[in-house]
Amino acid sequence: MEENYHLAKWLNNELEGDELKAFEASKDFAVYQRIKQYSGELTTPAFDEDKMLQRILHSKKAKPISIQKVVLRIAAVVILSFGITFAVKNFANFTEYAPNGATTEFLLPDNSTVLLNSGSEIEYKKWNWDNERKLKLNGEAFFKVAKGKKFEVATELGKVTVLGTQFNVKNRNNRLDVTCFEGKVQVNYQNTQLLLTKGMTVSFEDGQQVVAAQIAQTEPDWLSKQVAFTAAQLPAILEEMMRQYNIDIQMKGKATSQRFTGTIPMNNLEVALEIVATTYHLKMTKINDSTYRLE
Amino acid sequence: MNSKSLSGICEEVIFNNFFKNHVKALRNYMYYKFGNAEQAEDVTQEAFIKLWENCEKVPLDKAKSYLYTIANNTTLNQIAHQKVVLEYAKAAPKQDKTFESPDFHMEEEEFKAKLQKAIANLNEGQRTCFLMHRIDGKKYSEIAEALGISVKAVEKRMHLALLELRKEFDYFK
Repeated sequence: MEENYHLAKWLNNELEGDELKAFEASKDFAVYQRIKQYSGELTTPAFDEDKMLQRILHSKKAKPISIQKVVLRIAAVVILSFGITFAVKNFANFTEYAPNGATTEFLLPDNSTVLLNSGSEIEYKKWNWDNERKLKLNGEAFFKVAKGKKFEVATELGKVTVLGTQFNVKNRNNRLDVTCFEGKVQVNYQNTQLLLTKGMTVSFEDGQQVVAAQIAQTEPDWLSKQVAFTAAQLPAILEEMMRQYNIDIQMKGKATSQRFTGTIPMNNLEVALEIVATTYHLKMTKINDSTYRLE
Repeated sequence: MNSKSLSGICEEVIFNNFFKNHVKALRNYMYYKFGNAEQAEDVTQEAFIKLWENCEKVPLDKAKSYLYTIANNTTLNQIAHQKVVLEYAKAAPKQDKTFESPDFHMEEEEFKAKLQKAIANLNEGQRTCFLMHRIDGKKYSEIAEALGISVKAVEKRMHLALLELRKEFDYFK
């Protein structure tokens, strides 16, 4: 490979001595000489170096939105949205609702079961649920509470606190009914504190304890579409029926203060109306499918 | 660590200086390669931008080879090159009086035009080497480094380029 690139050497002014003299004497030398001279006079089209430099220097501020940064930004957005979702899921109040004519069953974060009766609402927070099992009830619900820390049901009238147990809380208008089906339930009503054990039911109305009885059932009657009333007043019974059947019952005439104890079916409207009408000696008139009148 | 010498090129003054020293040669090199001034400037600018962005990772003494490596790699996806158009410097010094015969001027213009054409017709490797030497005054070793080839290979290209160019001027003998 030891080729002699004497033209390259000559062009680079490296050719010396005899080699140079021999080359200078060759017939092509004049041509090469002119090529060398003129090619040395060549230039390239001019361009604006300063402008390019400015573009390069300014590119740094805009350009480092490199893949790394883009990835970081996307990650930040993703994390942020996860965070917001998490926060909303956990810190926000959750509301479960059973409309008239239906019941709703749902699980709390600790797998405690809640059955909401018609026209009832429960509000609770998922955040830190295991340490603070607290919910607000408006209406009636049956709870199967998983074992754990204090479980608290707050109603407008009073507070029901339990450990692991099954109990029913009913808060309608100015009446609060609590029935314990398993374990122990503590009921705070105004200044009264009561401890219910299995099979006990207690009712408060207008600041008075009206019932404290023992029952044989193992779950609330409304779960089997029967509603047992204990010393209940007529308006309360009618209201319950209106919720369960999602109908409207108009009451004409004087309200009676006679109390009712017994069971009314919630899956057979005719029988239910019959019972109420017979008990209170009233006349029942059907106005349309969803409206009835008692007089 | 020697973080200070590593980030030297990040200093705007140093970078500016480095840019001034190398931008023209790099852009010319790209121009010889593509024959397209716009493309040559784009590639050059991109290479310097990459260097500027990565200035923290590139030591000053490696900056030049970094620059040329980037430029060389970029060229791989470029479109086919166009003819290189070169001009003669207006202020070219008048040479030996021996050439100044009455019809010499005519002959000189003709020779120059032919040379331009012949250079444009050289293959890319030879033209690049030849022009880097003739226009940018680069040493063979510098050309070899920029192109990533041996000095011997550069000499061979120069030699062949001259032989090729001379062929165009048979009748001038």
